[in-house]
This record gives sequence, structure tokens and C-alpha cells, in this order.
Amino acid sequence: MQNNLSHYKEILVKGIWRENPVAYQVLGICSALAVTVKMSTALVMSIALTLVAGFSGLIISSLRHLIPSNIRIIVELTVIASLVIVTDQILQAYLYDISKQLSIFVGLIITNCIILGRAEAFALANNPADSFVDGIANGLGYSMILMAVAFFRELLGSGQFFGISVIPGFVYDMGFQDMGIMVLAPGAFFIIGLLVWLKNSLPGGISHEKK
Amino acid sequence: MSDKKQSNRSFKNSRVYVVFFALAVALVFSVLITSAATMLKPLHQQNRILDKKTNLLEAANLLPENERLTPEKIQTIYDTHIREVHADPRGQILRQATGDSLQLYLIHTDQQVQGYIVPISTRGLWGKIHGYLAFEADGETVAGFSVYSHSETPGLGGEIESQWFQDNFKGKKILNAHNQLVSVSIAKGKSENMPENLQDHYVDGISGATLTGRYLSEGLEETLTQYEPVSIIFRQKKGSLTHLETLLDE
Repeated sequence: MQNNLSHYKEILVKGIWRENPVAYQVLGICSALAVTVKMSTALVMSIALTLVAGFSGLIISSLRHLIPSNIRIIVELTVIASLVIVTDQILQAYLYDISKQLSIFVGLIITNCIILGRAEAFALANNPADSFVDGIANGLGYSMILMAVAFFRELLGSGQFFGISVIPGFVYDMGFQDMGIMVLAPGAFFIIGLLVWLKNSLPGGISHEKK
Repeated sequence: MSDKKQSNRSFKNSRVYVVFFALAVALVFSVLITSAATMLKPLHQQNRILDKKTNLLEAANLLPENERLTPEKIQTIYDTHIREVHADPRGQILRQATGDSLQLYLIHTDQQVQGYIVPISTRGLWGKIHGYLAFEADGETVAGFSVYSHSETPGLGGEIESQWFQDNFKGKKILNAHNQLVSVSIAKGKSENMPENLQDHYVDGISGATLTGRYLSEGLEETLTQYEPVSIIFRQKKGSLTHLETLLDE
């Protein structure tokens, strides 16, 4: 049992931090640029992706002995696409406004390299429980970066935190202005770049690995 | 053992197995998707209707700002201020639809007609653009514009649903100095760079979305030409307020 727990912990740490999908594997950048103007959209996107990553890992791993290797990518995509469509349907039913703002990006989870990457690299070779944890871990790793980017973009770009204005009026009176660039894609590039740099210069990052 | 593994592998890649496996996977997942879609359909429809109503109210500038909008609240505002009516080809306002009538919405406060809203449905770059264009009771001043469904490129043509673009339409005129219909179009760049006599008929364009703008301009012109008889009826009243029921009974 102890052994099992530390095993899962290992998978989690690897997915969330050590081999973080955005900061280390540099996957999923497209959506990280697109949905991080506001924290609310980034949060919904994060939850959606984490769940799809976890369950696609679980399903693909359970089928791994049955999937013929020559059609395995198509089968993996079918599983992923179905999960994404179901997620999109649920969002449209219960979070209509946010689903409108996310527009095509929920659908684009299908082509998000993180998910297919985990299916190929992990789920096909490991048992369902491990694959589920791995999917969730990578989803959380993606979510962590997404939320950090969204936090800075929303704070600096619109002076808000989850849609609530947090920068007091007197700061604006003193001449502070929202940074327009943060609302646009370049702002996201800068922040993702800084985060990747920060992550990889911390202990355990690439720059330490090489030494 | 290795023999068994070998035969297992070749069976897994045999054509029959591959076809059956593919069919089974397709069947299972299509059932999953279909059931999700069917179960959630009523909710989707409810959301869509509410979204349309919200957009109608937005075009008519009837949505209170800085207030949490509950579905009930939107419904109440809609019920007290909007009336769905039809107009025959001569512009006569009718209660019921007839074969060739056009749909429109009247904006009223305490039964006094304040203006009308025309549904817009035009081609865009990637698909249909649906929205509403609201007019004041004078039949020539645009009161507001809103888009509730489109498939334009996010960040480029998709900007048509942003607040600044929609606010842009307020106060524009669809008639020129000679009282001729000129519609309202999307400029290339800022409308203030246009010749002075055109500024009233152009709104600021979206950079990087020239085609979306062009299609939307064409669509607006087409729709406004269609609804011109209705606008003429309003213009004849010279913006004086009319009672809702009188207008319907005329």
C-alpha cells in the first residue's frame, strides 16, 4: 500500500512538475494562449482538459491489449474526441456563457498534443489506474500553468481577479493603466516564456539536469 | 508461450479483427455521444432561447449594467419591453405571421413604442452570422447591434461580438441627406477617416477581418432593403410615440 501510494505520488509529481506538459514538454501552447485572458475561462478549460486527459488514459489503457496496433491512433482519437464532445455538450448545457467564450477551444482539446501524447507514451504501456493518474497529473500540470498565465493576464490586463476588480481606484487615479498587451496573444507569450524560464531554472529544471 | 503470443499478435492485426474492433468502438462511442446530446438537448434549447432574448435586449439597450442577470430577470425585462410582431410587404405591422411577412420585434415602455428590432441573418466568412439591429422610433437611427451566433475566426472576425464593435453602431443613420436608404456599413479601418458625409453610415472596421466586414455590410444592406417598408411607416410618424395596440390595430 505504502509502495502504491509513493508510486502514484511519483507519477503525479512527474506530470505536474518535473515533466510539466507546458513548461517542460512545451505542448498545448495554442490553447494556453487563447483561453487565458480571463481566469474563469482558463479554469473551465483546465477542468475540461484534466478530466478528458484522465478518462482517455483510463479507457485507452483498459483497451490496450485489444487495440490492433495498425489502427491504434484512430482508436485513441475516437476515444478522445468522444470524451471532448460529451464535455462540450455538458458545458453548453450548464455553463453556456463560458462555453460561448471558449468557443472552438473546447473542441480543440481533441487535437491538444498533451492528451494524444499521454495516450501514446503512457496509457498504451501502463495499467489503467496508473494511466488515469498520469492523465490527471498532466492535466493538473497544464492547469497550473494556465491558471498562472491567466492570473497575470487578467490582473495586469483588466485589473481583475475572476472578474472582480482588485486594483483599487486610487492606483488608477495615480496614473496606472491596464496593460493592453496582456489581453492580446503577445502578452501570453511573454508570460509563458517567463514561466518556462522560471520553472526550468528552479531545482529539478532542465538547466540543473545538464550540470 | 512465445508461439501463443505470436498467434495472438497476428490475430489482433488480422483484417476481420481490425474491422470488428473498429465497428465496436464506433458503435460504443456513437451511443455515448448520442445519449449525451439527446439528454442535454432541452437544456441546450433553453440556453439558446435565453441567449437570443439576452441579445435582443442588448441590441435594444435594455440590459441593466453591473447587475447579475438571472434567467428570470431577463425573461421579465423581455416580457415587459419586447413584442414579437410581423410586417407584411407594405410595412403594415401584423400580430400574426402570414405567408410573406417579415419577423420583427417592437420595443415598448408602458405600451409606448420606442423603436423596433430587425433580425439579421447573413453569410460570414466561415458560416452564418445571426444578430439583431435595433432602431429608434424615427426609423433611421440605429439604437444598437448585437450578434448571438457566428463562426468567424476568434480574435479577428470573431471581434464582431465584442462590446466596442457593437457599441460602434449606436447613433448611426441609415438614410442620407436626400432621405435615401444607404444602410450602415463596416469601414476599412476607422470610420472617422471616411469623408465627412459618409461617417454617419459607417462603423469602425476590425483589422484583419476585411471579409467578415464586407459580408456583414452586404447582409445589413440586404436586410434593411427588405425591411424598408417598415422603416417608412416609422418615419411617417416622425418619431412620435405610438401606442403599441394602436400600431397593431392600424
